[in-house]
Amino acid sequence: MALLTDTTDVFSASSASDRCVVLFVAKRMPQASGSVNSRHLKSVVAVLDELGTQGWHLSLREMIEPSTKTGPMVFNTGFAHDADYVGVFEAPSVSTALDGTVRLEQAGWSRRYSTQWLLGPREFAAVNGQGPSIEREWGFIALWEWNDAWAAASAEQRRAYDAECDVAFQGDLALNVNIAGRHRLDFASAWHHLGIWEADSPETVDTAMRGHEDAADFMYTTSRHYIGRRRPLAEMFEHASGEPQ
Amino acid sequence: MTAVVWIHYARPRPHWYALNEIDQAARKTSWKEIARASESSGAERVGQFHVRGQHDYETVEIWRFANAEAAADHWSRLTAFGYNEWFAFANNIGLAMVAAE
Repeated sequence: MALLTDTTDVFSASSASDRCVVLFVAKRMPQASGSVNSRHLKSVVAVLDELGTQGWHLSLREMIEPSTKTGPMVFNTGFAHDADYVGVFEAPSVSTALDGTVRLEQAGWSRRYSTQWLLGPREFAAVNGQGPSIEREWGFIALWEWNDAWAAASAEQRRAYDAECDVAFQGDLALNVNIAGRHRLDFASAWHHLGIWEADSPETVDTAMRGHEDAADFMYTTSRHYIGRRRPLAEMFEHASGEPQ
Repeated sequence: MTAVVWIHYARPRPHWYALNEIDQAARKTSWKEIARASESSGAERVGQFHVRGQHDYETVEIWRFANAEAAADHWSRLTAFGYNEWFAFANNIGLAMVAAE
């Protein structure tokens, strides 16, 4: 798929453009007695294991550093959002991504969570933050669409805007944030792009957002942001069974 | 083989209404050619329906494609011709249900 907007100094086109992100925004459902049991959790884990052997990345960490194997990870977002968990996988293709979401739902995921799955090819390559090696256990997930003002802007106005936003993105990297490039969601969503970061704290993300506001980033976009703490995906299904713990 | 349904909601962006009829028609013609190319490649255009009375968008257009890549390619070609810059949209994709064993 072609790029929706041009590359910048910070972001280069990815050579892995066949790969497809699988973003999930999951809300825990009230449970009817017996609707979910340990068999369903095992089925979900079995599907994830199989997807892992088929070339899926099962965490943001694996997407940014493919040689790392973390196992399935998510971000716990319930403290700040109406979604309990938000996470990303990356599939080898758009078709395998769509098929994988259906398999996970049918394995038992849908018995526990009402989930919006968003799919889209990778556009930009991942970019690492600048600074010492640090622990980054917070995920920042940004969805955005180019709004009517962007659509009506001239090519020159958009170039100037991209250049100004690039200054903000340089600021993010200077905060030692890792950015998993950019994915294009618009073929199967109302959102146009996904940007997802690894950061050391919510305070760092807040500082970064102030930089984006200074750069008038949100003049041309309508955005939705999630922040969450990294947790093993198995946590989503703990205490799910109604069976004695 | 049309295993995937693709659902496309759309409404004109404000600056579409500032175009004269000739400019609007020229753009619509180029987008129709893209649709015809998709149909020539095996996609099925089920149709376009008016939903403004009960939706945020004006129309919904429904397609069937052989796979998700074909739907993504169809959309990519439309955006390459600026369609997304004149129409706000929300897209959806679905895999044909397979009966549980």
